[in-house]
Amino acid sequence: MLRTIASKEYRELLRDGRFRWAGGIVAGLLLVAGLAGFIAWREQAAQRDAAQATMQATWFNQPPKNPHSAAHYGLWAFKPQMPLAFVDRGVDPYAGTASWLEAHRMNEFRFRPAMDATAAQRFGEWTAAGVLQQLIPLLIILLGFSAFAGERERGTLRQLASLGVPTATLLRGKALGVTAALAVLCVPAAVIGAALVTMSSGASGLLRLGALSTVYLAYFGVILTVVLVVSAYFGVILTVVLVVSAQARSARAALVTLLALWAANGLLVPRVAADVAQAAFPTPTAREFQAQVQRALATGIDGHSPRGARADALRDSVLRTNGVSSVDSLPFNYDGFAMQRGEEHANEVYAHYFAQLWDRFGQQDRAQLVGTVVAPVIAVRFLSMGIAGTDFGQHRAFAEQAEAYRQEFNRVMNHEIRDQARADESFSYQADSTLWRSIPAFTYEAPSLGHALATHTVSLTALGAWLVLAALLVRRERRIEVA
Amino acid sequence: MTTVTPSPLLEARGLTKRYGDTLALDTLNLSVGAGEVYCLLGANGAGKSTTINCFLDFVRPDAGSAMIGGTVAAQDPIGTKRRLAYIPETVMLYSNLSALENLEYFATLATGGRPVRAELAQHLRTAGLTDTQLDQRVGGFSKGMRQKVGIAIALAKGADVLLLDEPTSGLDPKASNEFHRLLGLMRDRGAAVLMATHDLFRAKESGTRIGIMKAGRKVAELRADEIGHADLEQLYLTHMHD
Repeated sequence: MLRTIASKEYRELLRDGRFRWAGGIVAGLLLVAGLAGFIAWREQAAQRDAAQATMQATWFNQPPKNPHSAAHYGLWAFKPQMPLAFVDRGVDPYAGTASWLEAHRMNEFRFRPAMDATAAQRFGEWTAAGVLQQLIPLLIILLGFSAFAGERERGTLRQLASLGVPTATLLRGKALGVTAALAVLCVPAAVIGAALVTMSSGASGLLRLGALSTVYLAYFGVILTVVLVVSAYFGVILTVVLVVSAQARSARAALVTLLALWAANGLLVPRVAADVAQAAFPTPTAREFQAQVQRALATGIDGHSPRGARADALRDSVLRTNGVSSVDSLPFNYDGFAMQRGEEHANEVYAHYFAQLWDRFGQQDRAQLVGTVVAPVIAVRFLSMGIAGTDFGQHRAFAEQAEAYRQEFNRVMNHEIRDQARADESFSYQADSTLWRSIPAFTYEAPSLGHALATHTVSLTALGAWLVLAALLVRRERRIEVA
Repeated sequence: MTTVTPSPLLEARGLTKRYGDTLALDTLNLSVGAGEVYCLLGANGAGKSTTINCFLDFVRPDAGSAMIGGTVAAQDPIGTKRRLAYIPETVMLYSNLSALENLEYFATLATGGRPVRAELAQHLRTAGLTDTQLDQRVGGFSKGMRQKVGIAIALAKGADVLLLDEPTSGLDPKASNEFHRLLGLMRDRGAAVLMATHDLFRAKESGTRIGIMKAGRKVAELRADEIGHADLEQLYLTHMHD
């Protein structure tokens, strides 16, 4: 019976001009967004790989110079392009994917695409994730709003209801029919997407990291997770559409109600949730943040350890420990030692303030998730970014790994001066390429899918709760008014 | 010698329905046995359609019960609907599907099985559609042709109860005559038929018994073969003018 209802719905939808037009437009947009995203992704991946290689070669081929100069010359950490980043660019355009690593300071990320965005782009950039999260629900509404309300208006619901078909069966059958019609659009898109992900994973060189089967298995897991999350979301939307259609007095009323819900879910609530989160957990401006950091660097995090006093205390302590009266009498280069101590102090300051800032961003994210009570798309957005490796958590993971790398490479430079330079050649001592080559290239260890999902348990729980609610709505729908 | 009366397939017992201050049905009692055509006459708003809607469980009565085969419709709506076929004033079908596809769909849902396509085609032919019309989308069908598909649904379902709500309203005389021929066919197969109609002539011709309703109450009931056309009309008008 279920199959019969689903089959008839499917057949009717395929014959319906609305489906052909709306479905064609959405499928076209999905394809264009996916392909455009993939082309941009491939170009950026190539640029990133080229920049990484150029930077590495430049670093290795530095002429002999003072290690502290080399530390100021610096290195770049480039975030690898995650394979699904072409589907969902997440926070990357705003947070940036390249960081300049230099002595004394932890820099903010640079070359954020959002900085170069045109005014039009501020209305939102179309990505495959945007189409899936915004336009497919709109398509589901167009396909399903008249499922019951339209039949009621045409009188066929009366005929149908006289046959003794349980309401829940009717609802499930119609849901299956719409799902099958959607599958005509989404399955080819998913296959193309999976092929692109596989291609992109190869292009990023990840295939070289392990056995092919392991990598493909990992990507199969990623794709399967995307499919499950998106299917759950569509399932929730479809159920709401059918239940509203079953309850509405007319097809027009159903359409207006559903369009209002769509606007609330996709546009209004996420915007309001972001603004409320920003108001509840404000972050300092870039200028304020830098001022805080500079103040702490000068006077300590507690505000009572001025730089001069710290330097004097350090020198006195070292002299006392080594039983000498002058830094020139120390068995190592004091400037190299002091610079490393200075780095460690700065590291503490940066770690403190960046952790505060990032924790604040984390609080904002969690606050936004409250909105998922009325707008499931918020949970889906966070999950999508998490799976794509472009959420804030993974930006933070990359920034922390890049910072750890910066600290280590500065430590090596400072220790080179401490251990190799005489007291009078702190800034004239020159190291050669042996030192430069001792610094391994920066590699980013992206969190596993399991870890990425574990950071989104609230979103997963919220989506699960919406699914349970959808199932309850279907069970509750026992009697449909026929007129 | 005592006569054993078979239990009626359709039975209303004290059926009462109120819409706000309006009493749509007032303790209605009626019963229809197998092979009987019971015609409900009455003006608009007399309660004819409400009676049928109670049997279909489209409307829940405030008091009394509508029973099909001894089962109260409100208590087992799915089970009771499995036994009946319903033909409204205009049988509404899916305009994007052909007559055969429509019948296949409704028959599958009605029977829960998978009906044989050839048999379905035969039901459509029996109902009066031509072979070329079977595969035509019903979007362009006239009302008469749609009613024929409705009859075919009833035939395919093998329903032993027929609920007809002004099925010939708006049909031309030829189509109306054809419809009543098919109704006779169903009756002869043992179906219990309850038909709401304004058509006194057809009620007298096709009906076994006739009930006249006014303001939710059954004000008269008579056997169709015991009254002439003119007397029926006179009786009807008398009640309407009371």
